[in-house]
Amino acid sequence: MKKILAFLGSLGLMCLSSPISALAAEEEGAAAAAVPLWMCIPFAGLLLCIAILPLVKGEWWEKHQPHAVAAWSLVFVIPFAVLFGAGSALETVLECMINDYLTFIVLLFGLFCVAGNITMSGDLAGSPRVNVGLLALGTLLSSWIGTTGASMLMIRPVVKMNAWRKRKRQIVIFFIFLVSNIGGCLTPIGDPPLLMGFMRGVPFFWSLKLLPILIFNMVVLLSVFYVIDMHAYRQDIASGLKPDISKPGTEVKLRGVHNLIFLVMIVAAVILSGTLPSMPMFQDAQGNTLGIHIFGEVTLSWPAIIEIAIILLAAFLSFKTTDVEIRRENHFTWGAIQEVAVLFVGIFITMQPALMILEANGSRLGLTEPYQMFWAAGALSSFLDNTPTYLVFLTTAGSLGFTEGMVTALGTVPVKMLMAISCGAVFMGANTYIGNAPNFMVKSIADENGVRMPSFFGYILWSLSFLIPVFILDMLLFFL
Amino acid sequence: MSNEDKIRELAERIYDLDAEVYAHLGSSLGRVYNSDRERCVSELMELMVTRSQANLIRSELSLIGNMARTIKDKDERRMVMTEYNRILQEVTSLPDSFASGDVINMELANLNAFNLKKRFSKDDHLIICISWTYGSGGVNIGFKLADKLKINFYDAEIFEAVLKRFEMEKDAMQDPTGYGVRPDGSLVDTPSDAFKPARHLTLRQHFKEFSRFHGLPKKDAVFFNESDLLCDMAKKEDFVILGRCGNVIMENNRIPHISIFITAPFEQRVKRTMEIHSEMTIKQAKQYLKKLDREKTHHYRFYTGRKWGNANNYDLCINSASYGIDGTVDFLYRMINARTKGDKTVPAADAADTAAADTAAKTPDTETAAKAEPAASPLEA
Repeated sequence: MKKILAFLGSLGLMCLSSPISALAAEEEGAAAAAVPLWMCIPFAGLLLCIAILPLVKGEWWEKHQPHAVAAWSLVFVIPFAVLFGAGSALETVLECMINDYLTFIVLLFGLFCVAGNITMSGDLAGSPRVNVGLLALGTLLSSWIGTTGASMLMIRPVVKMNAWRKRKRQIVIFFIFLVSNIGGCLTPIGDPPLLMGFMRGVPFFWSLKLLPILIFNMVVLLSVFYVIDMHAYRQDIASGLKPDISKPGTEVKLRGVHNLIFLVMIVAAVILSGTLPSMPMFQDAQGNTLGIHIFGEVTLSWPAIIEIAIILLAAFLSFKTTDVEIRRENHFTWGAIQEVAVLFVGIFITMQPALMILEANGSRLGLTEPYQMFWAAGALSSFLDNTPTYLVFLTTAGSLGFTEGMVTALGTVPVKMLMAISCGAVFMGANTYIGNAPNFMVKSIADENGVRMPSFFGYILWSLSFLIPVFILDMLLFFL
Repeated sequence: MSNEDKIRELAERIYDLDAEVYAHLGSSLGRVYNSDRERCVSELMELMVTRSQANLIRSELSLIGNMARTIKDKDERRMVMTEYNRILQEVTSLPDSFASGDVINMELANLNAFNLKKRFSKDDHLIICISWTYGSGGVNIGFKLADKLKINFYDAEIFEAVLKRFEMEKDAMQDPTGYGVRPDGSLVDTPSDAFKPARHLTLRQHFKEFSRFHGLPKKDAVFFNESDLLCDMAKKEDFVILGRCGNVIMENNRIPHISIFITAPFEQRVKRTMEIHSEMTIKQAKQYLKKLDREKTHHYRFYTGRKWGNANNYDLCINSASYGIDGTVDFLYRMINARTKGDKTVPAADAADTAAADTAAKTPDTETAAKAEPAASPLEA
């Protein structure tokens, strides 16, 4: 009974992410956020556009994405300016563009460029067991080069090996589940929320405690994937498809391997962005991070500038030192990064009210148990940026007055609760295409290379069918 | 222009567009239609005729569009996108129904070699695919029919050719794809042994196998190679092929053929099995046959998605107990000869006459084959 109640409670928390429930929450809260809930409408509108327009007006959507993004951004910015003043609106937009979006898109861009310059050629044929191996490898790699790095590095070889097959969307979907999200839980390099935790005093290798959960999720998801992929593989064979294996023996060649150096450069830049701000030389007397002042309280910090410079340098060197033929073989185009860059400008701007409301109300949600934190952090990370979401719940947990557990800059947090917040924020980014940046990139690359990916809602159906049951098991086994 | 011609033309244009986009991009990451032209065109035609699947074809077209939009050269992109839009319009404006009132499935009928009088071109060869239940005399019937038609008969030879393609050493013969033969030349106990996983492989051997079979399970790699070989052979010669899902391979590759399923009542098969394996009791023979049937069913379903022995999958099903081995051979021979008289088989048989020495080398000795029905394997489904 207790578990059922817990589950229902979790579902209720998930509903909090919908505007109507949040409105109720707002009305109940005595000191509700200054930002009214209707300001989340542009965010919901943009999400609906991303979900529906490719289905009903595909060509129009492709041409007019920037216009739609601009329109929804204005629908948020103008009323916000009216309510809180133009200066405040400008500051809010600049804050999220300079401090969040800029580093986010530069990191994606760098990894996209570098990974696009590494190609694998050979005649290894995509079969269920090879695919399971590739997904397992990618998942384990994610924690060490980041979910985005692993996704960009692995997606093309996966698509290429399975080029002979027709039914292959499940491969890319589970790739997003595991490589682009769940795999990033072991280190702060893996996923930005954990880096945020590291910056707030969580030890670098603490996240390795999540290994049993990762292994459990990998085993369950890869087993399910094997069954689904085997079914599709048999259908492919039955319809007469076959890989070209006429040559005896398998030859696998990697070209552009030197780009791994640039990949390491980018990973180093990410680590630096997490460690430099706490060094005295990058802080003023009040402990604020130094940087270039832009407007109001918006400052582009020196650590961020260093990170951006290193990443851009790595991308530049990668392009300069790699044969153009490799990019041609990889079908390297700017389409995927362009789409993500445009859509996420809108997502980052329009989700500000939702984040502000969450920040204001996070501590009033009455979340005191690890499983509650797991679902709340997860449900919100499915649609919002998981880094601030993680931070809100870490702050909430830190303010609950626990005396035992992990001592962080935000207070003491019980280990189980910290694990739940970390897992929720990292794992549940896989629930939607917009839950984590590499999700959309992987989808776009797959779309461009002959894989028929599900629509926005179609993908959610996949995650509801396969991910949510695994997360329920996670809750029962690890967070109750 | 008939509806079918129109649809074919449209399907060919879609396939060509995909090929053109792929060529422009120079990518190696795969394309939308990755099989051979004829198969893809047929599948597209099927999709267009089955209007309930119209969304599928639009979705496939949009994938081509996705790729086309990434072509760098503006002129090329414009050209390709113009053709893409034209095709999209035509697909959208296709009529809702193509019902003809006949039960005939043109695709199947076109592949059924019994109908060859109409459309068996000079380039097509006579391919007879025989599936059989163990104990129904399938091997002997297949062999004698080939002998009578003076065409080649293939069974284990296919597997040997596959071994050559994989450059497998002799010691590799003891592994799962043994196909009834051990390294010392003795027969394996049951055909299923051929599919049991190899025992006690070292890590090095595992890597070797992984590399040799391109990361595929061994039995799948063998199946794919057999498929390739059969398709290659079908371009060059007439033959009878025993089992190996031959009928489905031919059908999937749009190769005209005759597919025959030979079986007999279970009791009759038990009797024959006991004659072949004199050491078996009736109980053992029954168990043996049930086991073989299970394995063949599983194998056939795995590689074809169909039910083994289901009459829908064959052009002709014969109860060999009603005719006997020779009677069945005569019956089949008369049917094949009657439908091809004056066109295909006779010249082929004449040609085979002139090359009798060569054929004899490939065709096993009648007496040897008649001595005993060799151990079956699931591959011979």
